[in-house]
Amino acid sequence: MEGKRSSSQRGDLLRKIREVTRSILEDLSNGRSPSVSIDRFRNYCTNPNANCYCSSDFSKGKEILTLQRECHAHRLNVMLRVLLIVQQLLQENIHGSKRDIYYMHPTVFSEQSVVDRAINDLCILLQCSRHNLNVVSVGNGLVMGWLRFLEGGRKFDCINSLNTAHPVPVHVEEVKDIISVAQYILVVEKESVFQRLANDQFCNTNRCIVITGRGYPDVPTRRFLRLLVEKLRLPAYCLVDCDPYGFDILATYRFGSMLMAYDAKFLRVPEIRWLGAFPSDSENYGLPNQCLLPLTADDLRRTEAMLHRCYLQREEPHWRLELELMLQRGVKFEIEALSVNSISFLSKEYIPSKIQGGVHM
Amino acid sequence: MIFADYQLFSNALLLLFLPSFEFPFRIRVWEAVWRSLRTLKYTGEGISAEKWDGVVFVTTTGICDNEIYHYQLNLQENISTRRLTKLPSNPKNGAKFSGTEVALSTFDCIDDLLAEITLFLQKTLILKIPKVAIELAFEHGVLPGSQCENVIVANECDPLPFVTSNIENLKSGLEDYVLKHGNRLDKKCHSCFPSREHLKVGSGIAFCKESHRSTGHVMETVIIISELSEPSSTCFRTFGAKTEVLYFNDFSPCLISQSSLNALTSIDWKSYGLTLKSAIDQDGHALLEWEHLPPNAHIDIVLHSYHKQYPLFLLARQKTQFDRNLVKKAVKQALDDLKEKHAGILLSAHAHYAPDLARTIAGLIMSSNDSDFQGECFSLLGLQSQEIGGEIVGECIKEKIITVIEMNDRKPQRSREAAPFLFEDDCFQEPDFQDEEYEEGEEAYRFL
Repeated sequence: MEGKRSSSQRGDLLRKIREVTRSILEDLSNGRSPSVSIDRFRNYCTNPNANCYCSSDFSKGKEILTLQRECHAHRLNVMLRVLLIVQQLLQENIHGSKRDIYYMHPTVFSEQSVVDRAINDLCILLQCSRHNLNVVSVGNGLVMGWLRFLEGGRKFDCINSLNTAHPVPVHVEEVKDIISVAQYILVVEKESVFQRLANDQFCNTNRCIVITGRGYPDVPTRRFLRLLVEKLRLPAYCLVDCDPYGFDILATYRFGSMLMAYDAKFLRVPEIRWLGAFPSDSENYGLPNQCLLPLTADDLRRTEAMLHRCYLQREEPHWRLELELMLQRGVKFEIEALSVNSISFLSKEYIPSKIQGGVHM
Repeated sequence: MIFADYQLFSNALLLLFLPSFEFPFRIRVWEAVWRSLRTLKYTGEGISAEKWDGVVFVTTTGICDNEIYHYQLNLQENISTRRLTKLPSNPKNGAKFSGTEVALSTFDCIDDLLAEITLFLQKTLILKIPKVAIELAFEHGVLPGSQCENVIVANECDPLPFVTSNIENLKSGLEDYVLKHGNRLDKKCHSCFPSREHLKVGSGIAFCKESHRSTGHVMETVIIISELSEPSSTCFRTFGAKTEVLYFNDFSPCLISQSSLNALTSIDWKSYGLTLKSAIDQDGHALLEWEHLPPNAHIDIVLHSYHKQYPLFLLARQKTQFDRNLVKKAVKQALDDLKEKHAGILLSAHAHYAPDLARTIAGLIMSSNDSDFQGECFSLLGLQSQEIGGEIVGECIKEKIITVIEMNDRKPQRSREAAPFLFEDDCFQEPDFQDEEYEEGEEAYRFL
């Protein structure tokens, strides 16, 4: 069934690609500049009144690329080159990474972000997700704990070695037969914290699945987390540094990112709860002053900008209050700072007590 | 007494302008002499203050004059009223002729000065001022007439129609200049330019209407784009691929003003497919350096600023402003004229994408595994589906893209710039966090 579905999806996408090509040719043959209409999406705005439509997943406008402006001509050139590569990937049913695509025309693309933007534009144009284009990631996320599943026939048995890191599967759409006896999913921002928990044999004493995106989570990590939450119906808790980056990573799991707002509905995890570290944790856990670092000018600027995001006020006002508190105090700290008195404090006390006590938001 | 002094000089130069123009033009010639010599004095290395006292003698007569007038002009005199001394005139005895002779004498070695004046006069010839002959001669030694040599004798005998406009003359003059590789050769280079068809010529005229504020200020410009198929190694231009902007003010070669140079840099060259890298004043030569110009292509630009009314009294500030506006207008007009006359040139910068775009679209068609779709595309392009290769399809698409860009270029600027946004993007910029876009290890993570 899976094979048939993906084959018909590919056929559908190839038909759409031909339509795009045909429409460009028709315009040119009629002496008109080709025009390619790209819907624009955003998952938040900075409207203080919150009378916006950001919570809907509809497009928030259109951009029409034509040959009338140089920047558009360049974007069309890049986009069509990527489209040609995608057509080949789909026709031959093979996969390529964004980096592979970049290296096919490095001088034209000039930098990876140019390819990334073109891929996003194509997803919007063809109304699909990136993996549907057969464009995949190398995969950056790690997982361990009470979990077993198959990915394209390959068995991932994390239960067999509870505290060993496994890579997050790249072809999330091919993941099936998920078996778990976990009680919750713990998402940690950093690999160092993930390794701390592995060293402390955290999963031996806690029935959970631990995932890290190693910084900003990539698409497979977020899709995999979402799949687990949906299939296993488990609560998910997120542990990030108490600084603007940590908060933004938390928001990326929760709301999706602006760059991929068009696909946010498939990538965000609205159920995720913020476990820490809260600005208030520094007092509650008696962090010494030397563990608290002053917010830099850049941190202040980023924090102030995040406070304006409409979704915080509308959907997570408590998160916003904590963020305000961080700004007021003017200090930040890393999760590791909690280990100041005991190296296993995080796995033995902090996380279990927070989960059992319901100290999350 | 004066003449007695000059007997001591070892070298003498004579510049002869022989116009049959009416009075105002004679003043212009005079003005031109004054300005030209000042230009030479300040920029040239040929005349040193020790070897020349700054005095020139001017002899002039109009066609209707009964006398030949003699003047002494002292270029080193700071008080303007004392600069010109009228000397006794001669009767013409009923003869009908006109002309102006300028003479100066110097102790110095004449070679450098001569080269510079020759260059100057050759530039002047670009104007092809009708019915003006120019002769440059010099005498070496104390005795008048001894070792006399004519360096330049120019009598424009080209079969231009008798009554031609200044701009037509300027076009013809610049063409000759280009054909001689920017006056580096004495004659036209037939190996590079077998015919004038190799030159793409455009011209523009901008003027201020006569009013209480202006006096019929005219700016004429000619732009020539030449492309050599196989340039010989000996045929090169003094400034290479750079464009020396030739500037004339009231029929005389002149240093370009800063305001005119600024005007040139402010032109939207990109909309004509040109990328201006720099505009500099290099030792009195205004040079425009281009990026991505085809290797054998060259652009020549001449600007001529003059006034229909004469003499003219303009405030310096006014003149600067006029110059700036008129240069822009005239150059744009000349570029538009070039585009109008020569299809496929000076297309806006994004036409550079046409070959790439065409190749990619052809690739989308040719690599498709749907033969019905391919057939449809061929018929849209007006191609027969038998034995069509990707190259033919690409060429056909490229032509269509260029046609579309060309048509769009012809539209007024305003309608061209109407950005096709269907909504007002209240896009705000947050400080850029890293995002999941950098997911494949190509960026170092701060958190690792």
